[in-house]
Amino acid sequence: MKKVFRTLALLALTCSIGATAQASTPEEDLKAFQDFFAKRFPNVETQDFVNGAYSIDPVGRENWEAIEEFPPYEPFIDDGMTMWETPFANGKTYKDCFPDGPAMKGKYPYWNKEKGMVITLELALNQCREANGEKPLKYKKGPINNIVSYVASESRGQVTNVEIPKDDPRALQAYENGKKFYYARRGQLNFSCSHCHLQNAGMILRTEVLSPAIGHTTHFPVYRSKWGTVGTLHRRFTGCNKQVRAKPFKAHGEEYRNLEYFLTYMSNGLPLNGPGARK
Amino acid sequence: MHKKLILLLTLLAAIVCGGTTTTLLADEASMAKVQKLIDAADAARKEAASVGGEWRDTGKMIKKAKKLLKKGDYTAAAKLANDAAKQGHLGYEQAMSQKDLKMPSYLHY
Repeated sequence: MKKVFRTLALLALTCSIGATAQASTPEEDLKAFQDFFAKRFPNVETQDFVNGAYSIDPVGRENWEAIEEFPPYEPFIDDGMTMWETPFANGKTYKDCFPDGPAMKGKYPYWNKEKGMVITLELALNQCREANGEKPLKYKKGPINNIVSYVASESRGQVTNVEIPKDDPRALQAYENGKKFYYARRGQLNFSCSHCHLQNAGMILRTEVLSPAIGHTTHFPVYRSKWGTVGTLHRRFTGCNKQVRAKPFKAHGEEYRNLEYFLTYMSNGLPLNGPGARK
Repeated sequence: MHKKLILLLTLLAAIVCGGTTTTLLADEASMAKVQKLIDAADAARKEAASVGGEWRDTGKMIKKAKKLLKKGDYTAAAKLANDAAKQGHLGYEQAMSQKDLKMPSYLHY
């Protein structure tokens, strides 16, 4: 245990070297972010970062590819399809809210000018349920993962293209808040998201390879062997925050929505490949 | 003989009752002191939470301190409350120190 603390302390110390403040546009952020990974992992094709840690860990990749032969998330996709097609009590279905069909993950998250907030896929699905007199689903565990798995599966191949509308400064502010969240230290271990998934991506923490941040949002929801089920991106945010001993925020609350807005923007140009399977 | 016995018993009763009262008073004082520490810890936790800087275990520590207080384990409850208060203060300071965006120098613009 002492060794682990010592390692973490050393890592935190390393991370504290050199932090600067600067104003930059989202486009500049995106370029700097993606360039960083291109230089860090010159042998990895940009598009392959959608595979997370398996893009940089050949042994892990072999195991993962074997798992993908019988994808553990398939039953969730099937249940999600049933949910999509089953009418609500009022006779309407999800299709009445989303007339273009379930292949829609590429539109999320987006800035909603009328509501003045970032709308995530899970939030939109729950808003649809509530508009049709149904109870909203819990955001981290349970049936939300079925419907999101189905939508993600139908959306495979769509390209991440988050937009920050220039005609509403609140959108840029939401992006900036997400960015600040990403780079801010938090929790008893005093780590930011970027310490693990940017600066130390590819390093090994205990037995795990730290995954690169680029592509993080493309493969959610994921079946995690640790969870024994499929879970949402915000459930993973919660887990990450807990790992650095910070109190997590509410799933699909403002903090995590803005974080998703920023983090998904950082994967602009990458194809969606969810649901995924992870350790 | 009879008088002596009564005197002895009275003396004994006075000692026992006096001792109990003293213990009770001491207990009440300790309880109030620890309760104050717990309240202070909770205030520190809330202050950290108000700026998004609450740490994972602070709330749990406060809950545990309350349980220990109920059980009468004042020393352990006080220690836990003090630790939780420290976490609350540090969480607040940390969040304030991160108020402004600090971009890492290894990102090249």
